[in-house]
Amino acid sequence: MAATMDRRRFLRESGRGIAVASIFGPAIVLSPAEAREQALPLKVLSPADVLTLEAAAEILLPGSAAAGVAYFIDEQLSRDPNDSLLIARYLQVPPPYTAFYQGSVQALNGFTLTHHQKPFAELDVETQKQLVASLFPEQPEGWRGPPSQPFYLCLRSDAVDVVYGTMEGFAALDIPYLAHIEPESKW
Amino acid sequence: MDKVDAVIVGAGAVAMVYAARLAAEGKQVLVLESGPAREAKDLISSQLWARRLKWATPHVDEFGGEDRIHFNMNAGRGYGGAAIHHYGVWPRFDEDDFRMHSKFGRARDWPISYEDVRPYYDRVQQFIGIAGDASREPWRPPGEKYPLPPVPNFRHSQLLERGFIKKGIPVSPMPLAVLTQPHNGRPACLYDGWCDAGCPIGAIANPLMTYYPLAKAAGARFQADSHVTRVLTDKSRSRATGVEYVDPQGQRRTQMADLVILAAFTVENTRIMLNSSSGGLANRSDTLGRYLMVHPALTLFGLYAEETQCHLGVSGGHLYTAQPDKTGNPDAVFGGRHWEIGLVLKPNDLLGVAMTRPDIHGDALHEFMKAGSKRMAAMSAICEDQPLAENRIVASENRDEFGMPAAKVIYRVSPDGRALADQARQEGLEIIKASGAIQAWSGPLAAQHIMGGTIMGNSAEDSVCDGFGITHELGNLVIGGQSTFPTGSHANTTFTIHALAERTCDHLVEHWHDIVG
Repeated sequence: MAATMDRRRFLRESGRGIAVASIFGPAIVLSPAEAREQALPLKVLSPADVLTLEAAAEILLPGSAAAGVAYFIDEQLSRDPNDSLLIARYLQVPPPYTAFYQGSVQALNGFTLTHHQKPFAELDVETQKQLVASLFPEQPEGWRGPPSQPFYLCLRSDAVDVVYGTMEGFAALDIPYLAHIEPESKW
Repeated sequence: MDKVDAVIVGAGAVAMVYAARLAAEGKQVLVLESGPAREAKDLISSQLWARRLKWATPHVDEFGGEDRIHFNMNAGRGYGGAAIHHYGVWPRFDEDDFRMHSKFGRARDWPISYEDVRPYYDRVQQFIGIAGDASREPWRPPGEKYPLPPVPNFRHSQLLERGFIKKGIPVSPMPLAVLTQPHNGRPACLYDGWCDAGCPIGAIANPLMTYYPLAKAAGARFQADSHVTRVLTDKSRSRATGVEYVDPQGQRRTQMADLVILAAFTVENTRIMLNSSSGGLANRSDTLGRYLMVHPALTLFGLYAEETQCHLGVSGGHLYTAQPDKTGNPDAVFGGRHWEIGLVLKPNDLLGVAMTRPDIHGDALHEFMKAGSKRMAAMSAICEDQPLAENRIVASENRDEFGMPAAKVIYRVSPDGRALADQARQEGLEIIKASGAIQAWSGPLAAQHIMGGTIMGNSAEDSVCDGFGITHELGNLVIGGQSTFPTGSHANTTFTIHALAERTCDHLVEHWHDIVG
């Protein structure tokens, strides 16, 4: 086991400092949570988009807004789709993914404005919960825009990614990460 | 570049075999890969970062039929192709898979038999290093025993094994292209469960660590970000003369070659051939694009009162059981299937803990993540699909960034394949309950291992290529990979495509002058 651990440590250390330089070109210096905390300028989304996405993500997984889910999405949307880390690429969402996210935000707010006379982020939490629950597996009647199911699945997964898909997230779940090559925390 | 002996389209597992073997014979080989060059250091242990190993571009329109083939999850992009993120489950095809028509009156026979492929299975498993225990696989066709001892059984697979034992279903160690001991200069597995993020140490049969070094050492050249759009031919369309491609700078170029090998995965092989000639190249039989298949697959989950350590092991599972008898099914459903038992579960991603219950959200999702990440177990049923002529790839009216028609996929799971999966759902839930789980549930029907589209057969009247993958109509155009499969088995495909590629290489080397003219 000692030899195994030595090899794991070697791999971890040999991988450090490589990933950011070789994959992303210019280094990204903040995590999504730090980007949110410092209110970094958005690259693709509007502040109103972020407000809606954070509110919906917070219903899907409390804590994901502070973990920077909307900043994570914004950063990924600014990249070539082939370099994107969004799960949208697995869920047959056609790139570029900006149209999907912004169209879904528009659909969500359009729906709540019609039925509740307020954008989603301004609804009380109980109404937000009921609405989010209605997005999957069915689609609310009167929904206009990209189908609600992939929006629910993508945003929920984005939230899980930023909260639990990291080394810190694994630690929060009390399971060892055991990387061959550790991911950078700034992404 | 001047004319080369062989140009290979794609840099995945099969392409690497061709490149290594032909370059070793002194042939001048150029490999053109649409995606990026990849190295071991790019294979970061993260479900997020691993997403870059797959396609994101919209050149495959899957919405032409009832069901999806899940191209983006199955295919790979860049050096190593799909095998860079594959699970390393390497069973052999069964003897009956090659004689479906003559034995069962179903589908069609392959133009080759299991006995033709058997020595190549043996050769490949010795080079790659497969771990398993052949003595515990009564369903396994004849062949040399595995060169490596099996992977250990982890707590989550031990729990599931209990359910199989209670149901009287024998299981064996999983036949895995994962090293349990150092082998051929590659190290043994650490059992961290990051196989599908790409194994940077090469303990799994990652093409970057197996045939790629051989190809490079023998002088094969690789060119990334080079998107092949067409096979070029002479006027009579009886000989391939090279390929047209778009280079990394966006310039359209031609590469002439004596031999053209398409090894660009199922959908791309077909798409390139459809774009190479009006009506499709080598398509006198009107089978180009047809008989598209997948393995209908279903993953089931159990939640236990005790900790399962489901984050440990190898992604593809640790135990295996196959029911290859195509007519022995008690419900008279035709076809074979197998179970992959004890899949590793990480918290996030499409195949992670969170997505096993997409309905859960809010505070309940936190609770589920805490429970699931420590106390779950998973297993998958992989079922045989039947080839249907109407399941096909055609040229889409949409075009990709290079002006090439996208692939439109028209697919529905065959009735037998769906029935096998439905049956597996019931059986699997019972097994998991019998194993002592406090909860058992099933995921949705998914598609694994896309096959067909350029199927092999006996003549140009019934198929695209022969048993070596050489097209009937162009004697120097070779198709590699599972697009050539006329039937799909239940068995995972990567072992078989390696064996077939080795067999074809022997044939090409022996008959080089006859083939290239």
